[in-house]
Amino acid sequence: MKNFELIDLYFDNSLSPKEQLLFNDLLQNDLDFKNEFIFRKDLKKVIAVSQQEDLKASLGQFENKIQQNSRFMVLPKKWLVAASIFILASFGIYSVKTEYYPSNEAIYETYFQSCRNTIQPVVRGENPNTIEYRAFVAYEAHDYYKAINLFNSVAEPDASYINFYKGLSYMEINKLNKAIELLSPITKAKNLEGKSANFDEKAKWYLALAYIKNDENKKAIEELTLISNQPAGTYKKEEALEVLAYLK
Amino acid sequence: MFLLTLSNMGASNSKNIINLLKQGDPKTLEKIYLENREGFINFSKKYNVEEYDAVDIYQDSILVLRENAINGKIDSLQSNISTYLFAIGKYKIFHNFRVRSKFDFEADYDLVEENLDFDVNLYSTNLTKEQRLLKKYYGELGDRCKSVLNLFYYQGYNLDEIREILNYSNKKVLKSQKSRCIKQLKNLLNKNYEEF
Repeated sequence: MKNFELIDLYFDNSLSPKEQLLFNDLLQNDLDFKNEFIFRKDLKKVIAVSQQEDLKASLGQFENKIQQNSRFMVLPKKWLVAASIFILASFGIYSVKTEYYPSNEAIYETYFQSCRNTIQPVVRGENPNTIEYRAFVAYEAHDYYKAINLFNSVAEPDASYINFYKGLSYMEINKLNKAIELLSPITKAKNLEGKSANFDEKAKWYLALAYIKNDENKKAIEELTLISNQPAGTYKKEEALEVLAYLK
Repeated sequence: MFLLTLSNMGASNSKNIINLLKQGDPKTLEKIYLENREGFINFSKKYNVEEYDAVDIYQDSILVLRENAINGKIDSLQSNISTYLFAIGKYKIFHNFRVRSKFDFEADYDLVEENLDFDVNLYSTNLTKEQRLLKKYYGELGDRCKSVLNLFYYQGYNLDEIREILNYSNKKVLKSQKSRCIKQLKNLLNKNYEEF
């Protein structure tokens, strides 16, 4: 089975002269090797065809877009005038509306972005050779895909604080459903101790933000209300009240 | 002198675009498609090619462009992408529509000299029964397997490069993922043969 690597080297044009000789010999004399070679060669061809079909489909879509756009060129003048008046009027209403009722996107941008830097994972004192350390380094370097991969591989992947930062990483790459899936159980966790202490409160806030970005306002309001009902000094209580005012 | 620097700028810009084409960047693809479409159709009309035929040839030319970007045939392209794309189109029109005027084609002789492959075999029509089956099962693999196998066997990246692109934490994990995907594919094939 080890010889099969030679096949891939062959496709990569990177066989050494010695390997080239071995390759030729195996191809002629080893039936298993020959069959594997044919298999991988076929695989290359088949993937190429699939990719080209995908590409052709994309080109078809570009073409459709062009065809559709050209249809809008021919409109009677009356309609254009009526349309422009309507557009101006609704723009007027729209601009007033967004002033007092910011969109979910705007709320998210303001509150998520500015909060990002206040959560500082504790990296000092950690053994720098652990996966956990590397995960947080990746997180702080904004390398969120890498961070997620590493969080999945730590010694205790189910620890609340790990899932918390994993959840935040997913928020950063806009995979909100996944973030919600991770943050939700943390908000309900009891007796969080040690490294996970107080993460239930933090999770509530970020979960709310995730719901907002995901246009699930009802759920967001639930979480925010929970926060606002806590005693003063609770994590993000003031901000929660502000956002609640925007949402209601 | 000025023209030289212009064409040099064109060359380095081509290199960027070619890399993006290799990676299959959809925005680049769309941009190239939109920017060159009208010009392409207009010159096709000079050869009395109908618009719908021209669009077909245009799309095939783009497929050839991408194919040659991936297989490395235009890694040292000196001219800019549009020129190359049009040359492919002219070649196709000339060979498929038996256009009488050889003039324009010979003007692109430089490109032909650069040993560029215009007549790329667009594979679709030539699959054997086994290959068609393999294609079907490849399509049934998960997205992750398809990505890995595509990057390796079609786009020709090596494991180190793929590790970067897909953000794997280490090469061993990636290597075993690749083996698993191939095994999965073979299992599907074997299951199919057993059913006979």
